[in-house]
Amino acid sequence: MLGFGLIKTWRELSAKGIMGINRRNADYVLKYNKRSLYPLVDDKILTKERAIEAGINVPEMYGVISTEKEIEKLDKIIGDRTDFVIKPAMGAGGDGILVIADRFEDRYKTVSGKIISHEEIEYQISSILTGLYSLGGSRDRALIEYRVTPDPLFKSISYEGVPDIRVIVLMGYPIMAMLRLPTRQSGGKANLHQGAIGVGVDLATGITLQGTWLNNIINKHPDTSNLVAGVQLPDWDGFMRLASGCYELCGLGYIGVDMVLDQEKGPLILELNARPGLNIQIANNAGLTLRAHAVEHHIADLKRKGITESVEERMRFSQNLFASSLPQ
Amino acid sequence: MRSLTVHLRILIALCMIIGVSVTAYQIYVLGIPVTAEETDNLWNIDAKVEFRANSREPVKLQMFVPPLNQDYVSLNESFISNNYGVSVNRSDDNRRVTWSARRASGKQTLYYRLVMTKRYSGEQAKAKGPIYRETLPIEGAEKIAAEALLAPIRQHSADVETFISEAIKRVNNTADDNVRLLLGGDNSSERKADVIDVLLSIAHVPMQRLHTIRLQADIAQSPELWLRSFNGEKWLYFNPQSGEQGLPNDRMIWWLGDEPLLNIEGGNQASVTFTLNNSEMNAIRLAQLSNENTDASFLDYSLYGLPLQTQQTYQVMIMIPLGVMVILILRNLGGLQTLGTFTPVLIALAFRETQLGFGIILFTIITTLGLSLRSYLEHLKLQMLPRLSVVLTFVVVLIAVISLFSHKLGLERGLSVALFPMVILTMTIERLSITWEERGGNHAFKVAIGTLFAASLAHYLMSISELAYFIFTFPGVLLIMVAFMLAMGRYRGYRLTELFRFKAFLKD
Repeated sequence: MLGFGLIKTWRELSAKGIMGINRRNADYVLKYNKRSLYPLVDDKILTKERAIEAGINVPEMYGVISTEKEIEKLDKIIGDRTDFVIKPAMGAGGDGILVIADRFEDRYKTVSGKIISHEEIEYQISSILTGLYSLGGSRDRALIEYRVTPDPLFKSISYEGVPDIRVIVLMGYPIMAMLRLPTRQSGGKANLHQGAIGVGVDLATGITLQGTWLNNIINKHPDTSNLVAGVQLPDWDGFMRLASGCYELCGLGYIGVDMVLDQEKGPLILELNARPGLNIQIANNAGLTLRAHAVEHHIADLKRKGITESVEERMRFSQNLFASSLPQ
Repeated sequence: MRSLTVHLRILIALCMIIGVSVTAYQIYVLGIPVTAEETDNLWNIDAKVEFRANSREPVKLQMFVPPLNQDYVSLNESFISNNYGVSVNRSDDNRRVTWSARRASGKQTLYYRLVMTKRYSGEQAKAKGPIYRETLPIEGAEKIAAEALLAPIRQHSADVETFISEAIKRVNNTADDNVRLLLGGDNSSERKADVIDVLLSIAHVPMQRLHTIRLQADIAQSPELWLRSFNGEKWLYFNPQSGEQGLPNDRMIWWLGDEPLLNIEGGNQASVTFTLNNSEMNAIRLAQLSNENTDASFLDYSLYGLPLQTQQTYQVMIMIPLGVMVILILRNLGGLQTLGTFTPVLIALAFRETQLGFGIILFTIITTLGLSLRSYLEHLKLQMLPRLSVVLTFVVVLIAVISLFSHKLGLERGLSVALFPMVILTMTIERLSITWEERGGNHAFKVAIGTLFAASLAHYLMSISELAYFIFTFPGVLLIMVAFMLAMGRYRGYRLTELFRFKAFLKD
């Protein structure tokens, strides 16, 4: 009877338009994302440079270290800033990121309260340079940038770390969004497979929906026990505008855009992802395939009519079409 | 996109069609056996010639030997004789061996030995033969008797085939006066064949005698007389005694025509005894053997044309696509997580040397120890390349130590570990530990188990000897696999694990 049950599951999933890895790869990633453009999103420094050119808000870049010799410049790059972030340019899954929250005499204090020395920071940078955290272990560069201070709103539903907002954008049309909240288990990281929570967000209003944690549906944050649903995200249209504009920024047709809400600077783009994960579907209780098909039809329509839509129009289109039907 | 899909479909169909038809051609037309266990009968025929030589006189003995241009193929033929010169010549459709000696005396024994089997290839030379001949001269009472017999035969027959079988039937009816007259009291098949010959010649139907050997082991036999006639398309065979039509499968034509088997000058009391026995032989081996002896070169351009040592390498190599396909299925259809794509196949190859159970144990031990070393090195904050080098060296030392210990303990199997590819192990350890750091121990464990599982399954399939034989013999199968892989390239359905991963959707 197991086989029969699986067939039933299969039918139900495909009726809901749930996208599987094979479909994502064949129909979206391979079709819309040109391989030659990958370095733009894999290398956070390149992404940032492009974004600055395009006038899109990103966390300010303090400096780049690309050789062992340049590690000496660290002091100059940091200057007298008390907080900053060191990241591998081609890191994956949030590894190798060092967030310095404060200085303490000659030492540094990380965001989790650990005191580390200057040498340890230098070793971390050296590890980044040898490619310890990069995809495929190739040589990498270290990026030193502005430390984002999350909007206080998130404090209530989050457990340390910086929550971010992931929007899947197909050819410039946002099709699904989620708020990613770090947990104790994820160690302050916002990646779902490391144990962070994903909370679906209504594209039209920016109000949070249900949550997903380790493939299950949840309603409360496991660390804070706060309800995750029904929270209004501030400046939602700002996020949507930012995400929609990323198509022009990188040229990739199917991406996941990761953004944060900084206390002072508002929505900022953190990074782009050419192979966004699929658990966002659980958080939204909706399938990506149906939404992607709707956008593809719309694009084909426009093409026949010879119209190209602006960022604003694309954003409105998505917000009208994909407004959540979940009870609030 | 649409045109690309059509392109892909055509490509898949092409691979499939070529793969299937090449394989089918090999199986059905060339008759290459489908399994290695398939055996063929190998016949060993001894003809022993005995005679008494006249002293002070040169001896010349001629004997017919099988012409070998029919359904049988000779693997080995030998003429065993002491002090005799041997020559074989072909005349018409026959072959004849001539043994000759200047001087011999007393009882002489000569041997002719033939090892042969049924021919593989289905290609048959086009039969041709005479369809008309002159009437044999007969006179007087015999002529009248023959004509009296012919009248009802003509009435009861429609064509050459029925005419001959009717004639044989009549001649075998010894109650008939006409038949009795023609046979002249001799009921042997030779005599009957003569009478049939006469009857057919009056009707201008050609007829040829042939002498056959029955392929049956361990019975005493002498050549059996058959008749055959060409009807314009093919030869029709008849038994003059029983009227049986069509040559049974177990008959082999020894010689054609009216001449006796033996012809001796300078000797007497010549006799031939036939001894047959059969053995079974691996079919493909047999095909190879027969290949050397015939011009049927269907194996020349297969992998069997390679030197034996190279063949063994290819027998392993040609299974790799199968292993890769297993990984493809497990990953893209099943959703199993493995370390890299081809690592499991490489590990599966390593298992060939160590055996599965032992291989898994060794793999686990080495990987575990390597991982602990790796995590120790992690504390030393080393750079990647030096760290990898240290791990590799450690793996080599570890393998050496395991070999040494198992040798001392008398476990020879432990020595096979040396063949475990060290670089593969090192890379496995490295990737596993990166996975460990990035995704946590649980995930790393899952991936390691997945890799071992995939490797074991791939190893299992790759070591099925029937499968190895089949793919090696019919490389067209590889094209069928390619077609499947191409199709998988556009597979959009769910992976098995996704059905569980997205279970949350089914709750409402």
